[in-house]
Amino acid sequence: MQKVVGINLNGRAYHVEEPGYDALVAYLDRAGTRLSDSPDRAEVLADLEQAIAEKCDRLLGPHKTVVAGGEIDRILAEMGPVDAGDGETAAGAADADAKTAARDGAGPAKRLYQIREGAMISGVCAGFAAYLNVDVTIVRIVFVLLAILTKGAALFFYGVLMFVIPYAQTSEERAAASGRPFTAQELIEQAKRNYADFRTNPKWKRHWRRQQIEWQRRFRNATAPHGWNAGASYASQIWVSATAPFFGLINAALALALVFALYSLTTTRAVFGVPLPADVPLWAGFVIVFGLYQLIATPFITAHRAAANPGTPGIFVWVSPVTNIVWLAAIGYSMWYGYHHVPAVHDAIDTVIATLRHTAAEMQER
Amino acid sequence: MGANEKFAAIRKGLLEFAILKIVSSDKVYVADMLQRLADTDFATQEGTLYPLLSRMRREGLLDYEWRESDAGPPRKYYRLTAAGRAQLGELNDYWKYVNTTLNQLGR
Repeated sequence: MQKVVGINLNGRAYHVEEPGYDALVAYLDRAGTRLSDSPDRAEVLADLEQAIAEKCDRLLGPHKTVVAGGEIDRILAEMGPVDAGDGETAAGAADADAKTAARDGAGPAKRLYQIREGAMISGVCAGFAAYLNVDVTIVRIVFVLLAILTKGAALFFYGVLMFVIPYAQTSEERAAASGRPFTAQELIEQAKRNYADFRTNPKWKRHWRRQQIEWQRRFRNATAPHGWNAGASYASQIWVSATAPFFGLINAALALALVFALYSLTTTRAVFGVPLPADVPLWAGFVIVFGLYQLIATPFITAHRAAANPGTPGIFVWVSPVTNIVWLAAIGYSMWYGYHHVPAVHDAIDTVIATLRHTAAEMQER
Repeated sequence: MGANEKFAAIRKGLLEFAILKIVSSDKVYVADMLQRLADTDFATQEGTLYPLLSRMRREGLLDYEWRESDAGPPRKYYRLTAAGRAQLGELNDYWKYVNTTLNQLGR
């Protein structure tokens, strides 16, 4: 079974299997790129769409309403690669990028790209850093300052750039990221193209999915500790190696406490001796416990991750432990305050200590 | 480089000539052009033909009109303009001249 996509070919609707749709989009994209210099671009693309539509018509009938993926492949093979003419063979026109690069003449090719490698969100800052030949941290700091000064307008701008600036996907493009100038004309073209992508829903969805996969990949990289940050300064490396085990221990203790709390909540409807009020359902109790855990544990987890994550720029390694110490002090103070002024908290803490003693004693007996 | 590859450039250069000839006989539709060319050495595909036709129209050699079709949307039917006819005449003459030259060189 194949998913079917509805498409508009020069004003008429067709149903095409998804792989066929992808092939069509790729074909027309390539055609558009090769014809990018031609004044007849729009007309030829419309002609091509109509020719494809007619070939589809020939395959469809009262009992066949969907064009299969394989049929699209055959149609596209029949159409043949789009030859922009101008004395070039189709193969010669294959790489429009190479052509424009040659046309732009000698000298270092430089143009603005988004760069995935080492990106925090989408790679806009990394792209600017490569383009301006400065460290990405500087670009990020400038960007954050701009975001604060403009009360967030810069964030919106970043969102726009995410669509406008192309990704450096090939090695040539990555090389060009610190090379060829990015003209205003190309910028507008790119924006138009990306906006068209945005409007043809499935493609935009795919872009979004790719973005998500990328974020997930980066999240996994960030959460898996693998070696120290080679780029960080010597002092921050020392700070990191001193604090990482400490935060790791706290994280482990908090996770244990969470498991214990959930266990006692299910068995006794109480956490560390504090009973769940009768009118609160059990699931809400779970939510509350999880919420409290998140509240307390998140800074520690971030700190540990920052300490173990080689991708984090040096400054963040410094910042998060500082915020953590503040956080730790705040929790410590509120616990001290609660212990002395709120009887329920006093009891709860006493119970926790008693439970821990009890557990320790039990473990010793074994 | 094989003979066939060498001649590819010649065929490519002559494709425009071939199209002018086909269009000179009648108002034609792209599918008909492809059909006529299919059995010849000039067999080509939509991907090549449409950009070429658009360019020739821009140069004023061809023109087209929309005609209703029984199946589906209206189609473009191409015909020669006066300039196209003039160029076809020139090409015919030039082709004869080239042929003669080549024949003479062989002697």
